[in-house]
Amino acid sequence: MKADTSRDLLRRGIPTAELTLLNPTTDPQAPSEIAARGMVQLANKLVTEARTSLRLAVALGDSTPVTVLNLALAEVQAGDRDRGLELMREVERCAPGWDEPPLRLAETLRAADRNSEAEVAYQRALDLNPRRDAALLGLAGLLIMRGQGQQAQSLLLRCCGIAPERADAWDALGLALLLTRDNQLAESAFAEAQRLSPRALLYARHRVDAAMAAGSHEALLAVLEVSHADDPLNPVPVAALGILLGRLGRRGDSVDAMEAAYALAPDSAVLAALFAEYLTRANRFSEAETILRRASELDPDNGQYRDAHASIMLRLYRHAEARHELLASIERNGERPGELCNLSNATSCLGLQEESVELARRAVSLAPESGWVRRSLCNALPYRDGITGTELLRALKDCSARLPRHTLPPLTTNNPDPDRPLLIGLLSGSFKAHPVGWLTVAGLETLDPATFQIICLAQNAAQDWMARRFRSLACAWHDVDGLNDVALAMKARELEIDVLIDMGGYGQGGRMTACAHRLAPVQIKWVGMQNHSSGLAEMDWIITDRWETPSELAHVYSERPLCLPDGYVCYSPPPYAPDVSLLPALTNGHITFGCFNNLAKITPRVIATWSTILHGVPDSRLVLKTHQFGVVETVERVRKVFRDHGIAANRIELRGPSGHRAFLHEYNDVDIVLDPFPYSGGLTTCEALWMGVPTVTVPGEIFASRHSMSHLSNAGLTDWVAPDLPAYVELAVAKAKDLDALATLRSRLRGQVRVSPLCDAPRFGRNLGEALRYAWSEWCDKADRRLRR
Amino acid sequence: VPDLLTSARPEALIARVAALLEAGRTGVARPLLDAARRLAPPSAQLSQLSAMLAIREGRRDLAQSELDTAISDYPDNAALRKCRAELRHCLGDTAGAAAEAAEAVIIDRRDPTAKALLGALMLELKRPQDAIACFADAVTVVPSHPGYREGLATALEAVGDYEAAFATLTVGIAAAPRNIGLRNAAVLLAVRQQDFATALELAEQANSECLADACLFGLQGHALSSLGRHEEAADAYAEALKLGPDDPSVRHLVAASGRVPPKKRADIEYVRAVFDGYAETFESHLIALGYRVPGLIRGAISQHPGILAGLPLGPALDLGCGTGLVGVVLADLPIRPLVGVDVSSRMLEQAKAKQLYAELRERDLLLALAEDEASWELILAADVLCYFGDLQDFFRLASRHLGKGGWLVFSAEEHVGDSNGTTRYDDWVLHRQGRYAHSFAYIERMIREMGFAVRTLERQILRRETDKPVNGIFGVVERPRT
Repeated sequence: MKADTSRDLLRRGIPTAELTLLNPTTDPQAPSEIAARGMVQLANKLVTEARTSLRLAVALGDSTPVTVLNLALAEVQAGDRDRGLELMREVERCAPGWDEPPLRLAETLRAADRNSEAEVAYQRALDLNPRRDAALLGLAGLLIMRGQGQQAQSLLLRCCGIAPERADAWDALGLALLLTRDNQLAESAFAEAQRLSPRALLYARHRVDAAMAAGSHEALLAVLEVSHADDPLNPVPVAALGILLGRLGRRGDSVDAMEAAYALAPDSAVLAALFAEYLTRANRFSEAETILRRASELDPDNGQYRDAHASIMLRLYRHAEARHELLASIERNGERPGELCNLSNATSCLGLQEESVELARRAVSLAPESGWVRRSLCNALPYRDGITGTELLRALKDCSARLPRHTLPPLTTNNPDPDRPLLIGLLSGSFKAHPVGWLTVAGLETLDPATFQIICLAQNAAQDWMARRFRSLACAWHDVDGLNDVALAMKARELEIDVLIDMGGYGQGGRMTACAHRLAPVQIKWVGMQNHSSGLAEMDWIITDRWETPSELAHVYSERPLCLPDGYVCYSPPPYAPDVSLLPALTNGHITFGCFNNLAKITPRVIATWSTILHGVPDSRLVLKTHQFGVVETVERVRKVFRDHGIAANRIELRGPSGHRAFLHEYNDVDIVLDPFPYSGGLTTCEALWMGVPTVTVPGEIFASRHSMSHLSNAGLTDWVAPDLPAYVELAVAKAKDLDALATLRSRLRGQVRVSPLCDAPRFGRNLGEALRYAWSEWCDKADRRLRR
Repeated sequence: VPDLLTSARPEALIARVAALLEAGRTGVARPLLDAARRLAPPSAQLSQLSAMLAIREGRRDLAQSELDTAISDYPDNAALRKCRAELRHCLGDTAGAAAEAAEAVIIDRRDPTAKALLGALMLELKRPQDAIACFADAVTVVPSHPGYREGLATALEAVGDYEAAFATLTVGIAAAPRNIGLRNAAVLLAVRQQDFATALELAEQANSECLADACLFGLQGHALSSLGRHEEAADAYAEALKLGPDDPSVRHLVAASGRVPPKKRADIEYVRAVFDGYAETFESHLIALGYRVPGLIRGAISQHPGILAGLPLGPALDLGCGTGLVGVVLADLPIRPLVGVDVSSRMLEQAKAKQLYAELRERDLLLALAEDEASWELILAADVLCYFGDLQDFFRLASRHLGKGGWLVFSAEEHVGDSNGTTRYDDWVLHRQGRYAHSFAYIERMIREMGFAVRTLERQILRRETDKPVNGIFGVVERPRT
């Protein structure tokens, strides 16, 4: 086949028809044949071969503009952009009337983010050929990026007139129309793009955006719900339906639609990733992980899929795997703040606290003005040995001061009547079987409904039985996933919430950035990543107690402490908790210490201290149980640290994850719990108490270091609190030596806890009600004074 | 912008649709079934899945035509027959459904699901012996299937063979110890036999094996309460509420124990459940308790000036009429028409049998009053205010619907301040038994605020419980003529 024929076919967009040219059977030495072969290779994405052929053709004397321009493209695609640009400029000079070189130049410059130069080049192409659709579209794209919707529309209307079959032009027109808020027209443009290219997911997504903006989502919903019947093999309308349902807050239905779309196209990485995203929002992490793994397999070079996969593994407590994935990604793509934050989290959860803080600091150094990046540091610091309240508060304030804030009008609608019934808003992504649930729901259930009505503002709402408890206690429930921070603040204000209680903090699903916009006249921080103060200027109070926040530590909080008279939480024991066993030491013949806390809390100093205790109680054992010990590598690392402290391997048992009931049951193997420090056990301490096992604790300065002291004090076990580390060691050793006392305590502990303030929900509800009323009255007083002024 | 390409295999789609339908996930199944039908040739399985999906979607006409065509194409397909049995059942044609299920059994005599389906339909048709035969066959084929065993036990109980029913469940529990349905069925069977000790033992055994379930805790609470172990019952109800927080009956009972604040009134579903379950023994039970309220009402109405003058009185509305006890005591008085309102259909069936009421309405009494446009000469509320804490709405609506000079006659249990339930409110309390009691002063205040004139307001003994009098308030109030 001759080169001329091959060029003709290439022009007609049939690259594969010319594959035969790749076999140089016809006069391979003729420059024009070599050039033609290079062009075919380029069209077939054989970039290296194409560059070689085209270079050879040019070297042998083929300096026609077509050959040189193709060589330029090959150079760019092979990674030598500068050389490519140079060649393109050369062709443009040699063939001044040809619009192709400036067009290719423009596209290459745009790909290099050199948009101003690209704009000029596009303009040159259009000067030469005002009907060149690609140039019209390319230039319009740049204008859209600059927010110049009107000018872009003018170019795109020309483009669509010239090339009405171009779906991408209609899509771009839709984007330009969205910029000028011509939302209905935009939806029409996207609809045309979708008609022309019915299997392009992007256009379908854009159409959903436009329909939402135009308020025509119900009409689109009706269209999408039946459109799969017309083209049942096309996954795009089904996926679009899923996207729209998600935007409408119908999470379950949206996940169903995504599942169906993915089932139709199980080899699509894009759909796999999209489906995983929706599964994640629905808290179906395990399924999301499987699907994301599939997406990564289908498109192994896609860094976003790998990052998403790492993130989901973190949520599944597969920290070691997540860390490996993130390290590999950073190795491949360099350090980026988001990945460093995730890596800091994974590293912290593996008990490598110092390294975690260091990673978070590196992330901060890359994006010092990002509040979200600083959030990682705030989440790493509480686990660090020796952390002080002052240091942590400083980091929290640095973070919260950098959260994005938009100016909203002042809150004026709430009636400052101190005695009227109040609307309490609970904001959280953890209305489920989670510490937030276990430690708050029972108390909230007993708030007097005549004086407090509860509205739940739920992020990524779950469907478990604990979530149903929250739904039952609430007079209204709003899923807020789809609302940005300003929209959420406005929503809360429309609802006229009087007191907003944040139960998410800077954690997963937390909406502290929304709190920065003030959702209610009174804002209170409570359980839910409550490791210390929020540092947020807009957070007025923090619910606490006299053990968590004694007056001498109030200065390390940015909020005012709203001290409850008993504990700051109320534990709701699970209905499936196993019975308490007899003291294991009586049958084992030795004491078994235990700690079922997250490995993130177990610092090198904790291990050193526990080793001292083990040396002080001969034959004693230590059982540690945490998700992270499901990985052999982690087990071996921790075991070695104990070995370095002279503790024989047979005295340490490291247990991996289990279901909650089985987890509780394993307390029947433990005589005494050793609390970690500085981050003490919270829910874990309550669970141990419920299972008849007391905890030895040593409180520090920060809120997270004092949970166990609060819970033990409320359960009547103040004698299990040590003032400092030497006393902690002494106390653990002394308690271990009095088996009679331990056995007696164990036999009565559940009953004692059941009637104690820790579990007395009606008592807690009264206390909480009084505290909320006090905070509200304070605001009313101030509002009253403002009015009088 | 890349195109998304369809890469699903038809057999994978069909298997997926079957699994989704089994899980009741019709939303996902629909697009996949449409795709499968495009990709795969017609088959009995596709038709059956299509019909099943149409049934689940409520598109019964579509299901009908799909099945009729498919059965004529594949007359020996048992799955299609079972599907048509389900459709007929949905359409209320139980006999037709049973005929289809029988066809399925004939086509495939080894199919236990067809037999179990036929058994369930036989139970509905009140043919328990046939049901026993069907379920027994199904159990023979799959001895460990919990559903078949539960069905067999229900059928055996229906013929009065409790021991065999219990044994069936016991064997089932041994074969499938984690099956909560069988555990609940066994406990419920014991409760229905008033064998509360066995019920409790079974529930505790399940608990000790960590089968946490709301229904099981609820039944345990019921058994404990029936054994007089009220604090433990409250614990069990509280656990039931944790697992079933949206169950209004359990919530009411937990509130009655003081663990969560009471609502202003008992949930309608709770009251309906109580009285539906109580209807058949209600009257004999009340007689045994020395129930005095109907007599008090008769005594009061006998003194109505119209009655004394020999004039007819009406229309009259009996709120919470139950089985019609008030209708009985008023039967010889010229009160007509007498309309009864009750939330329990089973109680109303008993009332209807007495043929004393011109009309019986199945409705919550507050809703009935709120929607009512009539004006009544007499409104009666015997022993129903105990399901309301806050009486403001009741008295307001009663006042609105009484004609001038009309009488409201009511009884309430009295809250005298030594409550064994919560004492959160001075005006009313919710007692452990799940009934509200009201203070005399509160009732007086309500009457005054709503502008009624008092003809009688007095303390009365309403009935006796565990040989102790239940103190109450009996009132006759009149809407002033001016």
